[in-house]
Amino acid sequence: MGEKPIKGEQKAFMTGNEAVAWAALAAGAEIMYGYPITPQNEIMQYWTRLAPKYDKKFLQTEDELSAGFTTVGGVLAGRRAFTATAGPGNVLMQEPMSMAEAMRIPTVVVVQQRGGPSTATVIYSQQEVTLTCFGGNGEGLRVVYSTSSHQELFDYTIKAFNTAWKYRFPTFVLADGYQAKMRESLVLYDPQEKGQKMVPTEAFVGKPGTPGEDRAPAHLRNTYNIEEELMDVLSKDIKEYEEMTPEIIEYEEFNTEDTDLLVIAHGIVFRSAAMAARELAEEGLKVGYFRPITLRPFPREELRKAAAKAKQLLVVESSYGQLLKIVKDNLYGMDVPIKTHLRPGVGITPEEVVADVKTILGEEE
Amino acid sequence: MKQEQSPSRVLEAYTGEYASGKSENAVNRAVELARQGRRVTLVDLDLVEPCYTLRPLKKILGEEGVSVLAWDTGELVGLGETGNILKPEVQFCLRHPGDVILDIGYGASGVQVLNLVEGAAEERDLKVYAVINIARPMTAAVTDIVEHVRSLKRVDGLINNSHLGEETDLGFVQEGARVVKEAAVVLGLPVVATSVMEQLAAAVGETDWYGHPVRRLHRYLPQAFW
Repeated sequence: MGEKPIKGEQKAFMTGNEAVAWAALAAGAEIMYGYPITPQNEIMQYWTRLAPKYDKKFLQTEDELSAGFTTVGGVLAGRRAFTATAGPGNVLMQEPMSMAEAMRIPTVVVVQQRGGPSTATVIYSQQEVTLTCFGGNGEGLRVVYSTSSHQELFDYTIKAFNTAWKYRFPTFVLADGYQAKMRESLVLYDPQEKGQKMVPTEAFVGKPGTPGEDRAPAHLRNTYNIEEELMDVLSKDIKEYEEMTPEIIEYEEFNTEDTDLLVIAHGIVFRSAAMAARELAEEGLKVGYFRPITLRPFPREELRKAAAKAKQLLVVESSYGQLLKIVKDNLYGMDVPIKTHLRPGVGITPEEVVADVKTILGEEE
Repeated sequence: MKQEQSPSRVLEAYTGEYASGKSENAVNRAVELARQGRRVTLVDLDLVEPCYTLRPLKKILGEEGVSVLAWDTGELVGLGETGNILKPEVQFCLRHPGDVILDIGYGASGVQVLNLVEGAAEERDLKVYAVINIARPMTAAVTDIVEHVRSLKRVDGLINNSHLGEETDLGFVQEGARVVKEAAVVLGLPVVATSVMEQLAAAVGETDWYGHPVRRLHRYLPQAFW
């Protein structure tokens, strides 16, 4: 083995893409499979620069279908493997990740959202929420963490490996082109030095012993002959997914007691929403925020609790209602009014959120 | 700040690790020279992400008296990440009268992009400076910096640009100056300057702890972020 990549705590100044590459190293990832696409390229670029030094592997495949399937293959062989993609690459990634869902393979995928549909822009959006949470021809049995800073990209990329290997559902870290390319400081660390236990990897196939005698056969399936057989398997998976949900949902909230307006946002837009809400709260306005960190599974009861104490909600996102759809689904049956600021493919500043809130609260008077 | 001695014609190219601060240092140097009443041309030689660097700053820099050679948005077609075309004026930028400051992008070709500039190989007054930030893990220690600078092939001096964004303190800048100085000794190269963000520069003075000239950095690049 090569030397240890990070010793102690190390302050660094870097882009989000680099933070992901360092986090994968810190999490003990052994191999990355990938196909280039902006804005995630520097994840691959930095992984390939770091790989020889730390005795890691990399395979550039012919497209994202292949990058996804080889990631599944690497995991089946017991390797701590991951991939990263964006935009149309994320579209192609859905077929292999559906197979990972079907076979309960703990894949880790980092997504840096870009503008869509299709090739659109190489820059930024929050338009891959629906795709990342519910893409594929299944039920969306996956975990999606939405980060908002470089420190979180580092922390949640490490966490994604543990969540994936502990619960055996495909796990995604969902960021965006701004987080990918933006530069800010963060602290790099070795999770084990900090007392975080890394869930070990193991091979799914090629285990020692005779199947059926020494151990259960590794009978990994993504195809079934009859409808009921499929539903039996899915029912068990769905039950496990729902049992896991309270253990892994994460969210952040502020000023949610007796709120005139509760701002709901995720990812990088959450940073604008949070700055705006704190500034307005300091001015004495009853403004709070709710931020889902896990978009899948979603912190349903927690949002309902906050929404029940709010006079109205404001959903802010760089897409035309993908978070809004999830929010509405989770608030079904409640009658709290929802205002929106939906801007597909374009960033939203704190000043703009402040202006929105003031307009909405001004109209009430 | 002490003004560095400027020859009759300043020709400098800024290179270094990804996100090391090349563009910020190139832009600030161009503005510094323009404010001395010199004629300055700033050249965008970043072929990796040419849309994201100097282009949005053209207007502000124009007001400072710096002439910027970079594509305008309307001049580019949607090649996306597939490639970019060198602006013809850039190929002949060294023939512009006055000072010429080149901002070289990162990437596999790095300094080799100078091969596309007419006269760069023959021009003896052209200095190539590597911008180093020790908060970048690939250039954190002396051995890393030595390896990195050697990989760039043509480098005439180092610039200590160690910082942690808004969390920078003087101790960190000093540690950077120390590490970069040590690397420079191994490489047999001069340390041309220590760059310090303007909020902290006054506290350092005209020269840093090791006698390197201090360059005061105003942050232009956040305005260039897409």
